[in-house]
Order: sequence, then C-alpha cells, then structure tokens
Amino acid sequence: MSLADNDFTPHRNTIFEEQAEVLARVEHPGDQYILRVKAAKTAQHAQPGQFVHIRVSEARPLRRPISIMLTNPEKGTVDLLFKAIGEGTRELSQRKQGDLLPMLGPIGRPFDLSDLNKRYVLIGGGVGIPPMIFAADHLAGKADVVVFAGSEVAFPFSLRPSQFLLPGIAGNTILAIASLESRGVASRLASNADMYGCYQGHVPNLAGEYLRALKESERARTVMLSCGPHPMLHAVARLSRETGVAAQLSLEEHMACGIGGCAGCVVKTKEAGGEYYRRVCVDGPVFPAEMLPEFA
Amino acid sequence: MSEQLNPPTQIDLSASFAGLKLQTPLVLLSGCVGFGEEYTRVEGFSNADIGAVILKGTTLEPRMGNAPHRVYETPSGMLNAIGLQNPGARHVIEHILPHLPHHETQFWANANGSTLEEYAEVARLFDDSPVTAIEINISCPNVKAGGVHFGNNAEMAARVVAAMRPMTKKPLITKLSPNNADIAEIARCCIEAGSDGLSVINTLVGMAIDIESRRPVIGNISGGLSGPAIKPVALWKIHQTRAVAAKHDIPILGQGGICSAHDGIEFAIAGSDALGLGTGLFYDPLLPAKILGELRTYLGNHGLSSYRELVGTLEV
Repeated sequence: MSLADNDFTPHRNTIFEEQAEVLARVEHPGDQYILRVKAAKTAQHAQPGQFVHIRVSEARPLRRPISIMLTNPEKGTVDLLFKAIGEGTRELSQRKQGDLLPMLGPIGRPFDLSDLNKRYVLIGGGVGIPPMIFAADHLAGKADVVVFAGSEVAFPFSLRPSQFLLPGIAGNTILAIASLESRGVASRLASNADMYGCYQGHVPNLAGEYLRALKESERARTVMLSCGPHPMLHAVARLSRETGVAAQLSLEEHMACGIGGCAGCVVKTKEAGGEYYRRVCVDGPVFPAEMLPEFA
Repeated sequence: MSEQLNPPTQIDLSASFAGLKLQTPLVLLSGCVGFGEEYTRVEGFSNADIGAVILKGTTLEPRMGNAPHRVYETPSGMLNAIGLQNPGARHVIEHILPHLPHHETQFWANANGSTLEEYAEVARLFDDSPVTAIEINISCPNVKAGGVHFGNNAEMAARVVAAMRPMTKKPLITKLSPNNADIAEIARCCIEAGSDGLSVINTLVGMAIDIESRRPVIGNISGGLSGPAIKPVALWKIHQTRAVAAKHDIPILGQGGICSAHDGIEFAIAGSDALGLGTGLFYDPLLPAKILGELRTYLGNHGLSSYRELVGTLEV
C-alpha cells in the first residue's frame, strides 16, 4: 500500500460531462433547494454515495460538489438537494428551469451496499440527508433499512406519521419521510428545534436509542451509513465504537478538479502501511470510520 | 468572416520541444493530473489530444503533503498548497510508470528536492525510466525547503540544473517562478547550466483569510495562485523570458491561466512552443479537444499551416 495516486483499477470513461438541464427548482425554508436536472448518463450510472461536480456559472473557477439524492434512470433525471451557504451554492440556487449546468458525474467511491443480509442504519444530517435517501431507495425491498434524519430547519420533504414500529423509539417520535414510507422504508426525524413528531436532540442520539434496543444478534449484522456535519460524524463514530456497529462515513472537503488529478481534497487515513492523505473525490467520499484518525 | 485559407484537416498541430516531437502543443501540467491516468476517467477525454502529461511532483522519499484545506477558490482563480504529496521516485518508477499508456502520449517527470543531492538522485532514477523528459521544479511555493527557495535565486537555480545535468540524457525543463524580480536572468543562468527548455510560469504566492475564525483558509498559510487571474502576469513573464530563450534556441512551455483557444493563441504568439493546461482543466476536463478544434480554425483562417508557424510571432 502506498500513497493515494496509484490506483490502476480500470476507471476509463466512468465520469460523464453533461449539459444538465434544470427541469424543476423547489425552494424550501432554511436556504434549502432541490433541483431536478436532466443528465441521462449520470442517472444511468450513479450509485448511492456518489456526487456530481457542477460548474455553477461561467465566471466561477471551481465547480461545486453536490451529493446525489435520487436518480431516475428511465427518465434520465437526477435530484439534488443543497443549501445555499457560500457564493457558489448561492449562484446554483438561482438557476432556473431550462438553464443548462455543465455537470460531471457520477463521481466517487459509493457506499458499500453489497451485502443484502445486513441491516442498514442510515444517519443523515442537513445536506447530508440526500445520500441517505438515495441509499434507502436503492436498498428498499432488498435489505433491512431504516433512516434517521436530523435538521435544525424544516425538512424539505413531505412528512407523515410512520406506519412502522421501531424498537427503542418513543411513540411521540412518529414523523417519517413520506417518500420512504411509500417505498416501505422506516424513517424517523431528529431536531433541536421544537418540531412536532420529531426526536428532541441530535440525530446520532436517536439512532443510538434504536441500536441499543436491537437484540445482540441483530446488532451484529447491522452497519451504519452516515453523512453530515463533522460534529455529527464524530458522534456517529463514537456510537460505532460504543455499539460495535461498523460505520461508513461520507465526507466533504474543499475540492478543485473532482476527478483525482489535484489531490486538493484530502483526508488523513490510517492504513496498514501508516498514515496517508487520500483524495475525498475519488478515494472517497465514503470511507470506513475506522480508517479515519480524525474520527478515532 | 475571413476566408479560410487552409482546410483545418491539413493543419499540422504537432509541436517541437527540446528535441521531442509532441503530437499536439498541449501539455497537462504537473500537480493537476495526478500520476497520468486520472483524466481518462472522463468520457471524451483522449490522451491523443495531449502532447505530454507531466506527472505529479516527485521527491526521492515519499511525502504526505500538507494538511487540509489545500485548495480555495479566489477571484478568477484558486489557491493551492498540496505540498508535494507523492510516493517517492522509486515507487513512481517501479509501480506507476509501467502501467501508463506510453503509446498514447508522452509522460514527463517533475523532479523536486530539498537539497542539490536529492534533485540529482531523482534525475538519475528517472533517467532509467520511460519518461521522455524531466521537468525541474525549482518554483514550488508550498514546501519548507527547496522549491521556490532555489528558484528565486539565479545562482541557486543554476546549481540545481547543473547538479541534475550529468545524471540524465533526457531533456531537462526548468519550471520558473514568477515570484522574483528578474525572470530573464534566472532563465539565462538555467540555460547556461544545461536546461533544454523552460516552463513559464509556476504559481504566484498568495493567501486567503477566513474572517470568522481569523485564520488563513489554506492549511499551509500561503498557497500558489493559478487560473485566469495570473494570465497577464504569465504572458509578460513569457515575453521577458523569450528574449533570452530564443537566442539559445531554447523552447518555452507557456502556462498560467489558459482556459480557451484564445488564451492559448496569445501564449503561442508570446513565444510558447507548447501550451500548459492546469487549472483550466478544473473548469472543463474536456478543454484539450475544444482548444485543438478552435486552434485549427484560427490557424487556417490566418493562412498558417502549422502551430509552429504561430509561435513567437508577436509584433512589438
């Protein structure tokens, strides 16, 4: 094993440059936006955990990495949920129906969802929720999956009381993401804001109550997937150590090329050969938590 | 609309550089394209459009590179401070070069060091490898020793070139820093020490500040500024260097914010025997094919039959 830049697994022609047409734009409270774009190749090939790299305007030198929330391979559409935080995402949020966005995708190492005998516990916070929606959609009907989502602003989804009971979860924590319910996937919400039907507190704590209520044998076949702000990922990593449930974390970092060329977007990893900096864009964005000293 | 004097298909886009024939004048710059096989991820990108790919800066021993953040967007450009993350010259030669598609394009090494001895040893190792040239990085602004500390002093720059010269028969291309007063004098000293070509320019040193934390955004505090923001500086430095280089018949790999065929044509006129693409690839990884298409049209429209005829045609 050596430094990052020597992975010769066949990867030619796996990322596509498409002029993604904005088909719909929906604004939600808290500067949250959902864009549906037409990008047939990305829609065809994307896997949960991957992202697209968007040139938000002609004048802006760097693209912006945005995680994929959902794809429709038949219709060739890709849904993106993001918050307008800086200048780039602010500009992206102002793009209108019919605009064309130069978009590279799909990019990155996805979540490992290969073992359908596992129980997948998905923990998303804020703009870390979208990859959880994609993963849940992918796993729906194939494996046991439950989604916990946290937000301090209104959730940008239709919500409804869940029809599924979950061990360890109080009866008043009842609201669920409607689209997931329809797919047969249980979900619950957490917020520190006073939101009816949501768990009062941080989402990893909500997930912890669920995990601790599982039978030992059930916990042993459980794996967590998570994406969100760093303090949340730290809490998920702690939960992973406490419960012995492995976690896959999806990271973000300032990114330039987005295709492995510049080594600008790195995270420190600990591996058999020692410590390295690996590229978040193509070596990640998903890493096993135990590989990341920052979360150890 | 001007009459097309030469059909685009008959235009010769090859370039000559330090005794090498490049299939196109486009060279992918060190540090922007990893160890050579990253951009082929993108459908539509072809090594056939590329004259040479310069591999990521390589030192004798492995280096981890700098702590993040390593990159940051700035007006019309970006700052970077990667810090020469690389697995060491021996690893590159034994485990990376054998896997590269040398039949599709040329690969050049980019040699770095903290001491003259390290530069010399890296040159010796790459001499016995399939790279067709070695670029000498005496202008990296993001490392504590070596790098730009050698490149801003004409005598030290020449000593690096002289230390590497006996170690290899491959062309040596010295990458010059713009962070100094007299680039022409440094160019002259490098040429006299045995440099076969010049890369002009490396990044300008800069910084950015997070006003909430009141800390530098870049982990390394300072970083190298690249992109269209530095294009006018690059053209001026090429113009200054060209006066010395042409006298000695030494080619220039012009670089600094090229993002279009128009940019590339300006760099060619200023005296760039080849055109380096770096940050421009981050805007658009399919830039090479677009530049070549428009370059062909421009040459045809202006009665030129080859790229080489355009190089250094600036009228002052």
